[in-house]
Amino acid sequence: MKEAKLPASKAKRERLSKFTSFLFVLPYLLLFLAFLFIPLVYGIYISLHDYNLLSSVQPFIGFENYATIFNPDSAMNSLFFDGLGNTLKFVIFSVPLLVSIGLGLALLLNSLPGKLRTFFRTIYFIPYAISVSVVSIIFLWILDTNSGLLNMYLMDLGFDAIPWLTKQPFAWISLVGATIWWTLGFNMIIFINALNEVSEELYEAGAIDGASAWQKFIHITLPTIRPIMLFVIITSTIASFNVFGQPYLMTRGGPGDSTEVLLMGIVNLAFEERELGVASAMALLMSLIMIVISVIQFKIANRKQGGES
Amino acid sequence: MKKNGKQIGLIVLASVIGLLFLIPLAWMISTSFKNDFEAIAGGLNWIPENFTFENYLYTLTGEGVDVPIFRWMFNSLFAGLTGTAIIVTIDALAAYGLARLDVPFKKFLFPMFISTLMIPFVITFLPMYMQFSNFGLLNTYAVLIFPYTANAFGVFLLYQFFRSFPKELEEAAKLDGANKWQIFIKIVIPSAKPIIWTLAIFSFMGIYNDFLWPLVATNSPDMRTITTGIAIMQQGSFTSSYGKLMALTTIATIPILIVFLIGQKQLIKGITQSGIK
Repeated sequence: MKEAKLPASKAKRERLSKFTSFLFVLPYLLLFLAFLFIPLVYGIYISLHDYNLLSSVQPFIGFENYATIFNPDSAMNSLFFDGLGNTLKFVIFSVPLLVSIGLGLALLLNSLPGKLRTFFRTIYFIPYAISVSVVSIIFLWILDTNSGLLNMYLMDLGFDAIPWLTKQPFAWISLVGATIWWTLGFNMIIFINALNEVSEELYEAGAIDGASAWQKFIHITLPTIRPIMLFVIITSTIASFNVFGQPYLMTRGGPGDSTEVLLMGIVNLAFEERELGVASAMALLMSLIMIVISVIQFKIANRKQGGES
Repeated sequence: MKKNGKQIGLIVLASVIGLLFLIPLAWMISTSFKNDFEAIAGGLNWIPENFTFENYLYTLTGEGVDVPIFRWMFNSLFAGLTGTAIIVTIDALAAYGLARLDVPFKKFLFPMFISTLMIPFVITFLPMYMQFSNFGLLNTYAVLIFPYTANAFGVFLLYQFFRSFPKELEEAAKLDGANKWQIFIKIVIPSAKPIIWTLAIFSFMGIYNDFLWPLVATNSPDMRTITTGIAIMQQGSFTSSYGKLMALTTIATIPILIVFLIGQKQLIKGITQSGIK
């Protein structure tokens, strides 16, 4: 204690201070290394090996797992690209709706009187709190062909029962619908925050110029919330890319393999076939595609903004 | 007059949409009080004709089938609470250190942490499974807790808060002879309470509701979480017993709904503060 006060030990004190400061970061750093950094490196390592859990040796095979995935004659090729195609379909069907309806609800809530706004905001946000397995099971029940609530009402109105989960395009509609019900609230909340940041003065100026509500939306609201829009598009794309629980539980990949998304294929390959090497290679490729898509979305949004201003 | 009419139209629209959001949950609760026959026979009776608690008794007492639902609930709550406590503690420490203290290599550490926000879970879940498997730790609480603690989201969230925290308060305490640790506990943490609660609610919901990871990382019935447990039941012995399934999902939803409704305001405030603007 006494030495620390001596002026001669300034360098020593600085070192001590750095050390005690480092202790603040250390616990997180350790968990970060153990459960993010090491898995990352280990994943690359596994993808370079013939890593079948059932065999006793897992030899190094270089990029052969990747080559197999890109070899059009191999079963891995169709597993990866069919799965990727189904995942992309889900992304394309769901993201525009998740973004536009999310924004629509935010606009609707913003035009309601204060108390009602809070009330409805809570109701629209509730499903976000529920787990994907509960959501999927509720919708399995509601969409049941023979005794589901939706078909009961349709038949009551004189329509035929619709095979919501066993025929296309209904299976996609069901998966996208359940997903919208489940996650829409989050996007809505983010848009509400964004709309509150749009300055009243701009709207007033617009009103003086005689702009209609639609013109104000296009020329004032949209440009102002563009960064948030980008954020919502990117996070919704990533979330939809990771889709797993809904098709796993609601359609089990069917009808046929039409909703067997890539992540389901990877999980199946790793835990049923125990082919961890190829599965890891696929997981890495999938992540790479996700990162590239995010970066492209970011670039496009930024370029547009630059072009206009 | 015209404005009033428009206002009423909007309220009606908002109410119809509200119904769409509530119907699935209301139907879940309604079905959970019907016997299997009444549920399957269909019909649109929202109030069960033969109101019964048998589904709850059956699933809660595990009569006939082995459904350790209390154990699953405990697993989920325990993993959620412990994980959240760890996340909040280590993230607050790290974020404060990086934002305010003379941590060596922080110019390198912070970007390294933040860049992992881009990394999807898909990359790490297979190797992480192998890591736990190699150490024989599958089907333990470690597997249900630690993988969530590495996420950099909380560090990012709190870092931004600590950056904008007024320096004067810390300096006044320093003059009074307080060390870093005391400043952190007595001054910084109390002022960061709202944002820490936000992180806690996000983390708890994330762990409690996660599906893919506990599905692949546990397979003993005793170590299932409630979300994976009910999914297994749906694919197993409860397949078309919708009354029982709805009782299970209702039970699984109650705790998270309570956390959500209590923490909702904080959650929304947190989303605003998290730099998403």
